[in-house]
Amino acid sequence: MKKKKLKAKIIILSVLALLLLLMTCFAGLVAKNDPNATSAAAIRTAPCADYPFGTDNLGRCVFSRVLYGGRTTITATFFLVAVSFAAGTLIGMICGYHGGIIDGILMRIADIMLAFPQMVVAIAVAGILGGGMKGAMIALGITMWVSFARLARSHTFSLKKEAFIKAALIAGKGDIYIIIVHILPNLLAPVLTNALTQIGTTMIGLSGLSFLGLGVVPPTAEWGSMISEGRAYIQIAPWAVLYPALATLITIIIFNCLGDAVMDYREA
Amino acid sequence: MDIILEGKKLNKSFKTGEKKTQVLCDVDFFLKEGEVLGIVGESGSGKSTLLRVASGLEKPDSGELLYKGRDYTGSSPRQTGEFLQILFQDAESSFDPRMTMERSIMEAGRGKKDKEELLKLVKMAGLDEELLKRKPGKLSGGQCQRMAIVRAFYSGAEILLCDEMTSALDVSTQAQVMQIMQRLKKEGKLSAVFVSHDIALVSEICDRIMVMKDGRCVEEGETPEVIGSPKDDHTKELIESARKQSIG
Amino acid sequence: MVADKEKILKISGLSAAYEDANVINSVSLDVYKGEVLCIVGESGSGKSTLIKAICADNSVSVEEGSITYKDKVVTDLKAREVQKLLGCEIGLIQQNPWGAFNPIRRIDVQFKETFRSHGKFFHAERIKEIFEVLGLKDPDKILKMRPYELSGGMSQRIAIAAAFVLNPKLLLCDEITSALDVTIAMQVMQQLMELKKQQETTIIMVTHNLGLAKCIADRIAIMYEGKIVECAEASDILKDPQDEYTKRLISDVPRLRAI
Repeated sequence: MKKKKLKAKIIILSVLALLLLLMTCFAGLVAKNDPNATSAAAIRTAPCADYPFGTDNLGRCVFSRVLYGGRTTITATFFLVAVSFAAGTLIGMICGYHGGIIDGILMRIADIMLAFPQMVVAIAVAGILGGGMKGAMIALGITMWVSFARLARSHTFSLKKEAFIKAALIAGKGDIYIIIVHILPNLLAPVLTNALTQIGTTMIGLSGLSFLGLGVVPPTAEWGSMISEGRAYIQIAPWAVLYPALATLITIIIFNCLGDAVMDYREA
Repeated sequence: MDIILEGKKLNKSFKTGEKKTQVLCDVDFFLKEGEVLGIVGESGSGKSTLLRVASGLEKPDSGELLYKGRDYTGSSPRQTGEFLQILFQDAESSFDPRMTMERSIMEAGRGKKDKEELLKLVKMAGLDEELLKRKPGKLSGGQCQRMAIVRAFYSGAEILLCDEMTSALDVSTQAQVMQIMQRLKKEGKLSAVFVSHDIALVSEICDRIMVMKDGRCVEEGETPEVIGSPKDDHTKELIESARKQSIG
Repeated sequence: MVADKEKILKISGLSAAYEDANVINSVSLDVYKGEVLCIVGESGSGKSTLIKAICADNSVSVEEGSITYKDKVVTDLKAREVQKLLGCEIGLIQQNPWGAFNPIRRIDVQFKETFRSHGKFFHAERIKEIFEVLGLKDPDKILKMRPYELSGGMSQRIAIAAAFVLNPKLLLCDEITSALDVTIAMQVMQQLMELKKQQETTIIMVTHNLGLAKCIADRIAIMYEGKIVECAEASDILKDPQDEYTKRLISDVPRLRAI
């Protein structure tokens, strides 16, 4: 009963998420205006037929910028989560499987990463690396792999004690074979669920860094930087802040809900 | 009959924090070819540890392990797997939950791919071929244990180490599994160490019985001898309890 | 001789279910005062569910039929009334020896709580008496310990003691020795029977172990796929089983043999 409900919830949320991704991927088809084209004639125009979300301080179409900005944010997020997921899972599996010194060293590094709040580390690292999306991604990625590594490690640890791993050992299988064929598929589900829940956080992180001017370089559209720019004239043209903010909010809610639903489904 | 597996003066202790517990204390055992050796004891007697040490899953602190007179002390399970197989208490968890039975069993064949032999063994175990396509979660406990027997024989191992292999099963399922073991024994295909807490069950299948208590072997001998005229007090106690519960 | 005895519990036409699956199918069973009734069955036979239904456990829903304890229809009682009945009149001991206690609180504190919650006074002497029968030496020391420090056999004895201090008329035991070693299990059973004799408790014992049932039961009921297939005097059922399933079950029990 409960499982059925959760399944329906997951399907609905997945459709919404997919819709969102399609919208941003095919931004060019949906948005008619060039996101970077300025227009002196249409500065801070209120939402109308030509500009559904109005225009900003330079007369750029907010609707187009939200869509194209979404492309920047979402691509960067997915890329970052995917890389952290891959690296973290690999490190976690190696640590959990081998234990000993390798585990000790890697996990102490992980502890150091977790000693500071994630955003503080990210700001510091992004500051050192200078602006740019690449810098922002490295800055977030440096702490993000840790959660994957810890999760993968603890699952590997308990899987290692299972009888089927012993059976594989007795069958004469090598460590690499056991890790790839037996351990990886069995911990993929929980770690992937974690990846799903990380999407929202990462999006906030990236937008946050851009908002602080440590992320994307203008004039590239990005939700965080759009909010930051629009903030100066929020009383004259609230739409320039409202729509990117709304877009961020909706996207994060969808992905977080999806992550939670999948997590609940797995536990139910 | 030749001795196929032997352990001499085996010691093993575990450390938990400050406390050191001696789980095996100078234990000797041997298994002859074509024989079933029963190891009986209560929880904490060290019977399962002995099995794990013999299989190479744990290394003994001291002592010697021999396979056909050849020393294999300290060998990894990868090496011991060439001549022995383990049947675990929880057979379901001894199969990868994401693999079909067929793949799991083939894996134990060390590169051998003999579908015909596999099907023959499956039939011998009284199982349906169709079950090979399923994953362990879709099989009952008894079916899983029988698949584990199939796997053990498919691997070509000469020795079976059975660790409480029927304790998680219902009486009638246990009887089905034991029937297969009995048949294999009659055909002379079985050299096995059979660890169990149930002395009645052990007495049904084993040629020789070894009784363990607190990490030591307190009595060892042919089954009729041990059951008929036990010498050790603990053995007497075990038999007495079993006798009280025996039916018919 | 059973017929003229007083019925303490009457189950008639009971069908019960978990959330989705029907587990018990029209089970009827009478339990007489002072007897030990063993319900034997394999996993999934519905034997534990039957115990849960008697305790009005809320994970089990009664679809049909009724359970009557003395003159009270348990299946019609309100949750609070059932709770009052449990403990004072009906006791329950479960399989997991540590399950009944908070592992990190002292045992005497938990005993006091048991008394208080059932509106009775803490009676140290009574506990010591029971402890003695159960072979728990040095009760003062044990009472000051915490459950996590105890072995399985000790914990299960204390769980039995906790059930007996309230002097229940009917005691429900759900696989209480299956987590214990055989020799310990036999001891615990003997001690339980000793207490039963002293207090004239009626016991319903659920177990998968036919041999154990043989040792203690006056009557044995065999359960299979949610039904009671056979119910008779213990010696009759073991010597002369009527039902096919019972016959198979008896023949499948391993015998102590000297081949």
